[in-house]
Amino acid sequence: MTGSNNTNKQDILLELHDIHMFFGKVCALSGVDLKVRKGEIHSVIGPNGAGKTVMMNIINGLYSPQRGNIFYKQQKINALRPFKRAKLGISRTFQKVEVFGGMTVLDNIRLGRHIHMTSGITGGSVYIGKTAREETEHRRFIEEKIIDLLEIESIRHKPVGMLPYGLQKRVELGRALALEPELLILDEPLAGLNLEEVEDMARFVLEINEDEQWKITCVLVEHDMGVVMDLSDRVFVLNFGNMIIDGTPEEVQNHPEVIKAYLGEEDMYATRR
Amino acid sequence: MSTTWLPCGVYHQDYIHDQGWWQTRFIKTKMILLFAILFIVIPEFADAYSLSVCNQIGYTILGALGVQLLIGFCGQITLGHAAFLAVGAYTSTLLILDFPWPKFMMDLGIAYPVSILIAAFVAGFWSVLFGLPSARVKGFYLILTTMAAQFITVNFLITGYVSQIGGRGQAFSLPPGTIKVGPWIIDSDIKVYFMMLVLVIGCVIIVANLIRSRVGRAWIAIRDNDISAEVMGINVVKYKFSAFFVAGFIGGIAGAFWISNLAAISPEHFPWFWSLWLVGVILIGGVGSIHGTIFGSIFMVVVMEALQLFVMQFVDTSWGEKLFTDFLFLKEAAFGLAICVFMIFEPKGIAYRWWQMKNYFNLWPFSY
Repeated sequence: MTGSNNTNKQDILLELHDIHMFFGKVCALSGVDLKVRKGEIHSVIGPNGAGKTVMMNIINGLYSPQRGNIFYKQQKINALRPFKRAKLGISRTFQKVEVFGGMTVLDNIRLGRHIHMTSGITGGSVYIGKTAREETEHRRFIEEKIIDLLEIESIRHKPVGMLPYGLQKRVELGRALALEPELLILDEPLAGLNLEEVEDMARFVLEINEDEQWKITCVLVEHDMGVVMDLSDRVFVLNFGNMIIDGTPEEVQNHPEVIKAYLGEEDMYATRR
Repeated sequence: MSTTWLPCGVYHQDYIHDQGWWQTRFIKTKMILLFAILFIVIPEFADAYSLSVCNQIGYTILGALGVQLLIGFCGQITLGHAAFLAVGAYTSTLLILDFPWPKFMMDLGIAYPVSILIAAFVAGFWSVLFGLPSARVKGFYLILTTMAAQFITVNFLITGYVSQIGGRGQAFSLPPGTIKVGPWIIDSDIKVYFMMLVLVIGCVIIVANLIRSRVGRAWIAIRDNDISAEVMGINVVKYKFSAFFVAGFIGGIAGAFWISNLAAISPEHFPWFWSLWLVGVILIGGVGSIHGTIFGSIFMVVVMEALQLFVMQFVDTSWGEKLFTDFLFLKEAAFGLAICVFMIFEPKGIAYRWWQMKNYFNLWPFSY
């Protein structure tokens, strides 16, 4: 992927245009523009409190910005509620895991299939014929595509609330994948994981981005610079609501303002490697 | 659902079996035995008193199922469920008394079953009406709005207006022979018992199936984390309403069923305390578990009956007589005490103990 900005309009999956977001008098985002192209991993970095998570919440509809437009596949989605955006193919994971603690791993991932299933109250209450068939079909998809990919076979029947943090993150990713999204927002997928888990998670992200059957475009919010620079096609730098640069990892690393605001003078980002 | 471990050597080769209810031959035998006891042994050997206790348990299960669905599975705390039981009971009664049923429907005994169904729908929609605030408020505030259901429905509408229909005064009595299901006129405890069994088993199957399918998962997701539920594509408001509908629906069935036992209803049968009682039943049985609803109902009814029998031993003494006349207060005190004890010593309820026991015996005697 090159740093050029002259891409075909068709290639742009998500576009944020001049987004302004205020909480009272606090300006969380002022005039942010973001273009996410199909098939890329687009990272968003910035110091704590820069507004990264606010930006993600705006993309999937938990917040609605006071000014500016959000386009998804050239369609303006400002007014759509989060569940409608999920139906369009936007899925996400959260910074602090927001799994359904009382449900088993399998049920969490099954829930991710919600928009692809059709059974209602009457179908569900008898659970024969169409509903049972549907459940079995989706179970096959979950087992073969997601549980196998994320290597969580052994815990599939465990309640998620009882699992360690690293596995909960994995389940959350699995749940987001079950939606079969086109755009996946990963809000700090590596926070709080140990080195091995970080490597696993990075591998999963690459796989869902590159594998033929997934080909998911990712928006990645992350503080681990080593991983960000390795995985990303483009990096977007945010500093207290203001966009600094949106470019390739090389451009970002050499940008004086980014170094001043976030990366620091030394090769801080290399320490975790 | 299958959070219990399979015994050693049992494994599934397809998903249908893995998602099944009764997964091993042992469980199948156990369940068939249970049904044999319910349908043959109890009706054969139980006396009238035990049967009436069983009916009481069945009624409590039917009432508490809706509460369990709302509180335990959808996380919408409700303290006005008796209102929907009352709506069901009154709808069914009024339909039987005042609706001009064609003669063949009365003769074939379809009128009462149809009235139960209509009562269930009416109670369901009535429940959605009081579930509307759940779109905006949750937690403590929702409790207060559901309490409004109780006071508006029972204390205001039913006592003040519905009971006055036909100028019968406070209580509606159902003439003998009007409660007829198919060829059977429901006029004895044993017939009520069979009807109760069918309804309880039917409703338990409905709720259990819902919980393991798409709708139920959406409810549980809303309970556990409503924000991420919405992000995962669930229309939270719609599913909250559907939970209120199903809970009201089952409540309506419960109310409409209970008139067959009472043969007369008045607003006093559906006090606010009964709403609270149903919540207590699921707290003791186990929140978020269908087993819990059943265990809780059995526990509460049996303990209260035992307490009554115990007090009756001393009815000859002066203090015993006083205690017996004040039994209602004693019952309330015992209810409070039971909830306190369970909250402190077993906050997950009887169902959790049952689950632990089952798992223990699955691994027994080699628990390593």
